[in-house]
This record gives sequence, C-alpha cells and structure tokens, in this order.
Amino acid sequence: MIHPPPFSPTFLVPFLFLSTLIGGTTFFWTSQAQAIPAFSRKYQVTCTVCHTRVPRLNRTGERFLENGYQLPGTEDGGSTSKRKLGDVTLDEVTHYLGVRLRGTPLRTFHSDTHHAGNSKNQTEFTFPEIFSLFAAGTATNNVGFFVELESNMEESATAVERGFVTFNNLGKHDLAHLRVGRFDPSAFSSYATLRQHFEVIPEDTVDNGSFLPPTINRISLTPAAFSAKFSGLYDRRGNAILPTATSLFHAASEIGIDLHGRPFGNWFFYQVGVLNGANEPFGDSNKAKDWYVHTRIDLAQSNYFSANISGFGYFGRHNAKVQNMTDVNWNRYGLSANFRYHMIDLYGAFAIDRITNLPDALKASFDRTATGLTVEANVLATDRFLIGLRYDHLDAGGDRTLRTSHSLIALMAKFYWRSNIAFFLRDDVNLRDAQGGRNPERNFRNAFVIGADLAF
Amino acid sequence: MRLSLEPIWPFNRPPRNPGALAVALSLTLTAFPAFSADVSPIERTPSAQTGKALYEQACAFCHGIGGQGDGPDAFYLGPYSAPRPRDLTSGEYKFRSTPSGSLPTDDDLLRTLTVGIPGYMPSFQSLSDMDRRHLVAYLKTLSPAFQEGKAQSLPLPPGPIPATPESIQQGRALYVALDCMTCHSEQVNSPEGLLTQGKLKDRRGLTLHPRDLTNLTSYKNGHSPSDIARTILTGLDGSPMASYLEALEPHPEQVWHLVNYILSLSSP
Ligand code: HEC
Ligand code: HEC
Repeated sequence: MIHPPPFSPTFLVPFLFLSTLIGGTTFFWTSQAQAIPAFSRKYQVTCTVCHTRVPRLNRTGERFLENGYQLPGTEDGGSTSKRKLGDVTLDEVTHYLGVRLRGTPLRTFHSDTHHAGNSKNQTEFTFPEIFSLFAAGTATNNVGFFVELESNMEESATAVERGFVTFNNLGKHDLAHLRVGRFDPSAFSSYATLRQHFEVIPEDTVDNGSFLPPTINRISLTPAAFSAKFSGLYDRRGNAILPTATSLFHAASEIGIDLHGRPFGNWFFYQVGVLNGANEPFGDSNKAKDWYVHTRIDLAQSNYFSANISGFGYFGRHNAKVQNMTDVNWNRYGLSANFRYHMIDLYGAFAIDRITNLPDALKASFDRTATGLTVEANVLATDRFLIGLRYDHLDAGGDRTLRTSHSLIALMAKFYWRSNIAFFLRDDVNLRDAQGGRNPERNFRNAFVIGADLAF
Repeated sequence: MRLSLEPIWPFNRPPRNPGALAVALSLTLTAFPAFSADVSPIERTPSAQTGKALYEQACAFCHGIGGQGDGPDAFYLGPYSAPRPRDLTSGEYKFRSTPSGSLPTDDDLLRTLTVGIPGYMPSFQSLSDMDRRHLVAYLKTLSPAFQEGKAQSLPLPPGPIPATPESIQQGRALYVALDCMTCHSEQVNSPEGLLTQGKLKDRRGLTLHPRDLTNLTSYKNGHSPSDIARTILTGLDGSPMASYLEALEPHPEQVWHLVNYILSLSSP
C-alpha cells in the first residue's frame, strides 16, 4: 500500500510565509484607500502621529511604546477599537497584524583586497531580504504584547525576532512598566537599535570553526557605538562575535525582564533590566545574568524643539569567551542624546566597552577597552524627502593582531512615496586609508545601495 | 536643611486612583488598576488643574506645553503641509456647532476629544468622561477669548430629510450654484477645481487639501447627516472651508439637499 507523503513542516514554514506575504500585502493593499500599518489602522491616524518618519519614533511614539502600546497619558488598552461580545473582547485582525518587507535589492561594494591599488568591485542584485510579520497591541487594560516573526532570506533563517508581554502602569500611571520575554533593551534610548534610517548592511564572512577568528571579506555596516568593537570574542558556543555585531544594551533582542517608568513626570525616565545576555542565538547556557541601568532626561516641549540625553551602564557576567575558552565579563557604558528642532533630527551615541576578568596570559595581546561613536543627522527637506548623514568612529579593541579601527561616513536620500513606503539611495565611505592584508575594516572602501522599506 | 519631595513631584492632580497604590506591583492580571476609575463625588466639577496634568501627558507632545501647537512632534506631523496641531491659544476652532468666528461650546470640544480627528489626532474616548471634561476646562484657560463670553450653538434646521432622487438632484444644483466644486473638484470633474489644487492654505499658510467628499471616513468633523450639515453651516474656521449659512438664507433647510447629494457621492 502506498501512503501519501507526509506534509513536511520544513515545507510548511516557507509556504505559510509566502502565502501570508502575498495574501497579507494584497489584503492590506486593497482594503485601505491609503495603506497604513496596524496601529495606524487601529487609531485611524497617519504614521507620522508616532513617527518622525518611519521607522524612527517621535515623542508620542516613544511614549506609546513605553506605555505598552497605549496612547500616552491613557490606559486605553482595554477599549480602543474593540468590541465586547459577552465576556469576550474582539479586536479586528487588521488592528494588530502588520507586515514589513525591507531590503537592499541593489548593492555595489568597492574594496582594496591586498594593497592599496588592488581594488575589487562587486555588485549584487537580491530580492528584498527581510520579511517580518508583526502581531502587537493590547490584550486588555495595561497588558500589551508584541511578537515579530522575521524571515531573513540572506541568513536563510526564520525566527521569532522579538516576543514579549508588557504589564503597564503598575501602582500608578507611568510609575512602572514591565516587559518580559525577548525584547530590544535599547528601545527607549535616545538612539534605539531597531529604529534606524540607516539599516544594517550585513557582512560577508567565512566561518573557520569554533574559537577561530572568521575570515571577514566585508564588514557589516552598523553604528559603531552599538557594535561589539572587539576582535577575538566568542559566544559561549565558540561562535565568533564580529566586531560589528550589535550587542549588549544594543542587541536587537535578548531574553529577560525589564522595568521602566517616569515616576516624576515627563522629564525623567528610568530603566533597569536583567538579561540572559550570553550572546547566544538561542538557549541559555549561562547561569549568571547580565543587567543594565538606563536613565534619560527629557527637556523642552514647545517651539518645535525637544532634547533628551541618556546614560546607561550594561554589566555582563560570563557573557563572552576569549580564544582560550575562558569566560570574561563584557561591559558597556555610554551616553546618547537627541535634539530635534523643526526639520532637523540630530542624535548620537558614545559607548565604552570594557572586558574584565581577562586571563593573565592574554593581557598583553588583548586590548580590553574599545570605544565607538556614532552621530547621525536627518533633515526632512520636504514632506516626503529625507536626507540622512551618519558618522561612525570605532576605536577597536581585542586581539591586537586582528583589531582595526575604522571611521565611516554614510549619506542617504530617502523618498517616502507614502508614509509607510520608502525608497532610498545610500552611500557609505571609509575615511581611513586602505591597508594591505587581512584588514577588512580598511579594505572596505565604499558601498552604494538602493533599498526599500515597506510596511502594511 | 529640610528635604522635601514636593518640588520634584509634578503630579499636582490628586491621585485619581488611591486604591491603585495598594495593589502596587501585584502582578495578577485582574489587579491592574484602571487609570481612570470611577469618579469620586468630590470631582463632579471639571477642574482645569487636573486637566493640565492630563494635558501634559497626553496632548503636549503635539500641541506644545503652552498650547501654541508647537510641541516636539508638531513639525513632523505637518512639516510643509497642513494640518499642524491647533494653536490652542488662538481661540480659533474648526469643529464647532456655533457660527463662524465664534468659540466652540464645551460639548463641541468634548466631541473633538471623544471622536478624535481622523488622520491626525487619535480619539481620547478611553479617558473617562470626567477626565475629558477636566481637559476641556483646561483648554478654555489657554485662550483669553473664553473669558469673554459663551458661544451658543446654531440650531440646525429641521431634518435630515429623506434622500430622494429629487432631493439629491436639488443638492447637486446647489453644489454647482454655490461653487463647491471650485475646491472639491473631483466630484463634478470641473476644470476650475484644478485651479485651486495645491493652492489652498490654512491659517498658518500651510497647503491644505480640500476633503475628498467621496471618502466619508476621512471627514474630520463627522459624516452623519447632521455632522455634514453642521460643517456646511458653520464652516471650518482657519481653513478655506467657509460657512454657507448666509449663502443658504433665507432657506437654510436646503442644507439637507446638499447633505443628501454629498452622501450620494460615496454610496456605491
Ligand atoms: C498626534 C498629535 C496630537 C495629539 C496627541 C493631540 N492632538 Fe489635538 N490636534 C492635533 C492636530 C493635528 C489638530 C488639528 C487638526 C486639523 O486642523 O485638521 C488638533 C486639533 C485639536 C483641537 C482643535 C479642534 C478644533 O475644533 O479646531 C483641540 C481642541 C485639540 N486638538 C485638543 C487636544 C487635546 C485636549 C489633546 C490631548 C488629550 C490633543 N489634542 C492631543 C494633533 C494632536
Ligand atoms: C475655497 C475652497 C472650498 C470651497 C469653495 C468649499 N470647500 Fe469644502 N472644504 C474645503 C477644504 C480645504 C476642506 C478641508 C478642511 C480641513 O481639512 O480642515 C473642506 C472640507 C469640506 C467637508 C468635509 C469636512 C470634514 O468633516 O472633514 C465638506 C463636507 C465640505 N467641505 C463641503 C463643502 C460644500 C458642500 C461646499 C459648497 C457649499 C464646499 N465644501 C465648498 C474647501 C472648500
């Protein structure tokens, strides 16, 4: 007897994604005269009520986030746009489901492979590579949720990028909010990792095995302040942590618990959190935990002006390893700030990373301190046209034979066809001289990309 | 030296939910205190003081701490085209039941807060009725105009009337006679409409697009027959959308024909 082949789950996942993508986009596209993502649909307002321009948040958006997806000053989670049916509260699917597709279909890289003068150009055409499905909103008053399923075609991985529950306004309005799950610790900072106009452009590397430095053909373009900064660091499984990987307080997501609030009104914000923090993609082999504190002062609330400055400390415990497989503690301290005036949005971060607990044998060959500075300016030239400029300076640490500092400058022009659909051109340039040999930070000379960011 | 918590405790409103402190940090789902719990009997009269504290948390990012419509988010909401958040110190309001040029009634302000402004300002229905009244009390302290007198709602002529083909026909004739299509061009395909495209400005001098009358849910001032009649009779002050009260004299009840015609534009 012949059995029909079982429906394999490996088949199912891409299939489900594809059908959601196609179904979802056409659905949102046709059901909205002007396509707007979930929260926009829920509150019937445009994206710019919460974003300066997507994906960066304005103050209303920041406070909406702090408040667990409830309008600032309210606890509207239980009621807004929901219908009561006996004991059940119903919410329209389109009010909490959203999709986002982004990527850089065209990339051209220019590098000097061996010596200055021996240059290489590389052009890639890809499909938009990152597709995310979001479900976010409120379950009831003061209980929010956020799940982001991301399929990254480049990393050929589909995973829950973030997934957490929030409990808000504990004790008193804005006194304390709790996040539990897998979240981005820097979400509330003046310069949040996941709210960048300059998206991360991924690296090109070849893995050489456990506790061996990988071959980096091309570095990834991430803000220097957020990145790992050290060469010769490994996660607890022995996978290399690239110097440009976003990490610690600036990780895209970590598992943990986080408490934040504004007990004294609008001007003062606090945040404390405990994370698994082992820099592992999954699992929790580290029984010690990392923790962080972050405070932020917000100033000015009129004249189209606002400013804030924040300071944080991130304290790692056994959160990384060095090449002889011993655990080290990897910490980060830093400042970030943001000034906004009319069409100008200026922000930046400076971070000092320090490794403690380094084995004596490595002390001579391993630089335990590294710093990163990132400054960005955005100017909204017309209703739809944004210009961005970013400067990065990495003073690298770690293995003295591998580490290389770099200074990059990036320029971008972004056009918003709708407030949720943007196309951009971007050029990243290395400001330092090219150097020969294994020096990916310096070999990289220039990158030009054309990309798109669509949210429905 | 005396230490006091007073100066750094900016919540000058009374704790609206004292019971909440008792259940502080209790993590059971049912124990979450409602922010705007039932109003205690003492709070029956709206207090501008309480309204101010609410305003600072819920409105100031857009309208600015002083109410001038210049909050930190105001520019990005309407960078080079309207609308920007209203300058609440100006005393000029769009969504009124009162004649053009006068102040809104408390109920008008309450309606704006309750239903929001589609596209630009969310509804604050989740705040308790009393909280919204506190806010209205505070809004009225922002402009001196409110001290000078109370505005009266304009009574709507009796209606609405049934949307018969004759009524819609009459409405269309009025629409043409009153030159509505000079601005709302799409509906009558008149070439004149195109002349005003992109040229209409609001009080701040920012470009303001006339409403696409076929898209009912985008109406800022409501889209029930009475809402539309109110818009036409009272106008949206500070925008090019004028009041047609005088133009419709001596038969203001004709406004219902116009309403029927406008509503017919969006029915399939
Ligand atoms: C996201 C920004 C935003 C927030 C938050 C906001 N508003 Fe507004 N508000 C606006 C905009 C924009 C307008 C003008 C809309 C227009 O002219 O079409 C407006 C207009 C108004 C008006 C004028 C209505 C009229 O008749 O002309 C009042 C009153 C008002 N808002 C009160 C409030 C109050 C009170 C709050 C807080 C509970 C608040 N707003 C929160 C953006 C906001
Ligand atoms: C001088 C240009 C102009 C003329 C003439 C004009 N309108 Fe308007 N109308 C506008 C503008 C601009 C708006 C949008 C105002 C805003 O968004 O604040 C508007 C909005 C409206 C709205 C929607 C209000 C809302 O709730 O959003 C209606 C209904 C309307 N007009 C009906 C009419 C009718 C009927 C006539 C003729 C009797 C007319 N208009 C003539 C410019 C005009």
